[in-house]
Amino acid sequence: MNTKDIAIKVENVTKSFKLFYDKPSTLKERLIFWNKKKAEEHTVLENVSLDIKKGETVALIGINGSGKSTLLKLMTKIIYPTKGKITTNGKLTSLLELGAGFHPDFTGRENIYFNAAIFGLTKQEIDKRLNTIIEFSELGEFIDSPVRTYSSGMYMRLAFSVAINVDAEILLIDEILGVGDQHFQEKCFAKLEELRDSDKTIVIVSHSLDSLKKLCKRAIWICDGKVKLDGKVEEVFKKYLDTFK
Amino acid sequence: MKLFKDLYAYRELLKNNVKKDVRGKYKGSFLGVLWTFMNPLLMTLVYAIVFPHLMKSATYEHYTTFLIIGILAWNWFGQCISQGTYSVLGNGGIIKKVYFPREILPISVVTSGLINYLITLVIIAIFLICSGIGFNICMVWLPLIIVTQYFLTLGIIFITSALNVYARDLEYFVSFFTQMLFYATPILYSIEIFGESKIASIIRLNPMTAIINSYRDVLYWGNIPHVKSLLVVLGFSLLLCYIGLLIFRKLSKGFAEEV
Repeated sequence: MNTKDIAIKVENVTKSFKLFYDKPSTLKERLIFWNKKKAEEHTVLENVSLDIKKGETVALIGINGSGKSTLLKLMTKIIYPTKGKITTNGKLTSLLELGAGFHPDFTGRENIYFNAAIFGLTKQEIDKRLNTIIEFSELGEFIDSPVRTYSSGMYMRLAFSVAINVDAEILLIDEILGVGDQHFQEKCFAKLEELRDSDKTIVIVSHSLDSLKKLCKRAIWICDGKVKLDGKVEEVFKKYLDTFK
Repeated sequence: MKLFKDLYAYRELLKNNVKKDVRGKYKGSFLGVLWTFMNPLLMTLVYAIVFPHLMKSATYEHYTTFLIIGILAWNWFGQCISQGTYSVLGNGGIIKKVYFPREILPISVVTSGLINYLITLVIIAIFLICSGIGFNICMVWLPLIIVTQYFLTLGIIFITSALNVYARDLEYFVSFFTQMLFYATPILYSIEIFGESKIASIIRLNPMTAIINSYRDVLYWGNIPHVKSLLVVLGFSLLLCYIGLLIFRKLSKGFAEEV
């Protein structure tokens, strides 16, 4: 397979966190307790390798604490692997946590600029998308009110609208299919379907298997930090659900 | 090289951060951006009243003008050091959520400091006019001095902001150290009062000394600055920036886990 067709390449990645019972955060503590080996190594991902092709929509499933979110965070380069290598190919946006960089005292419109800038968009690019974003958020005239006056639903709608309209080639989504009311959720879902049918690469972590089944063809099941199964959505889900019986 | 490419791609973020800093800092306060002027002015007022009584030898013509030139430059430096040291830790929320070149955080602190300083140059101009000192041709050196201070500050906070994530009391140490350094920099006095004594040679080791002296040379005395020492400081600052960047890069991989 040509390397150009690969959007995300994960090679033998291991990620372990140090767990401190009593984390030293000041210099004094670091100096005094330097020899207290209180840290416990906790391996979240162990020797994971996988390729995700361009244009694929992949579901990541697994029980809580299995390492799905860690894997997504590694892909976005928020954290770095202890061992191994991750390469991504193309502009990447993560919808891990929405509303990063929102400043409560500024208006929704201004915050669109702040938020989109964090995703690496320039002013012209944001200008071009501004109307689409505002329309998608359905905030109407509230777009010119400070964000601190928003309800939590409005806040999330605005955040989601920015993130989904960034036009990245790779989208990493973590458990956000439950944004807003029924109407907005359906709209988001339709948008995701539209993105899937274009040439975008999407990786989704979620527990709502029904939605995933409609969106994805491929599923990867992560269990105890390892890839347990990787294949067609129906087969993986079936085996996954069997473990709960 | 990759840094410049990254910074260029994320220039909007840098611009927004600076805008937020400059404009958002005093949002909700009564006098707003006027505080940019008020703070150093009040400081100058206090020193102008108190200091001549403490040091009889420190009698300069137009002492307030003499003071404000040093204080404004120092203000930029001191505030950037304390804000900059906290810049990574203070943005922990965003660092945990999104990827962006982390270098933007300290860079935007220094840059918004620069813009604030440029705004306060208006005050200096007013003082120069009112005191009758006026303007002179040597002011063409001003940009070089400003650039030197910019890189010196940036180099320092690359290092302190990254280290502060791992040892949080650095910020208290830094704030004490900058306060001490304030007195070890010829701001309230000029270095000549120490003659060629040991104290003078110690004070000369402080890179801010050459910078403040240069500001005063071009603005107050109307002289060409001591170019050699200014260039030495510039060279040192660029080197510090480079080393600072390497340290910052190395440590930035752990930011999301440590903040």
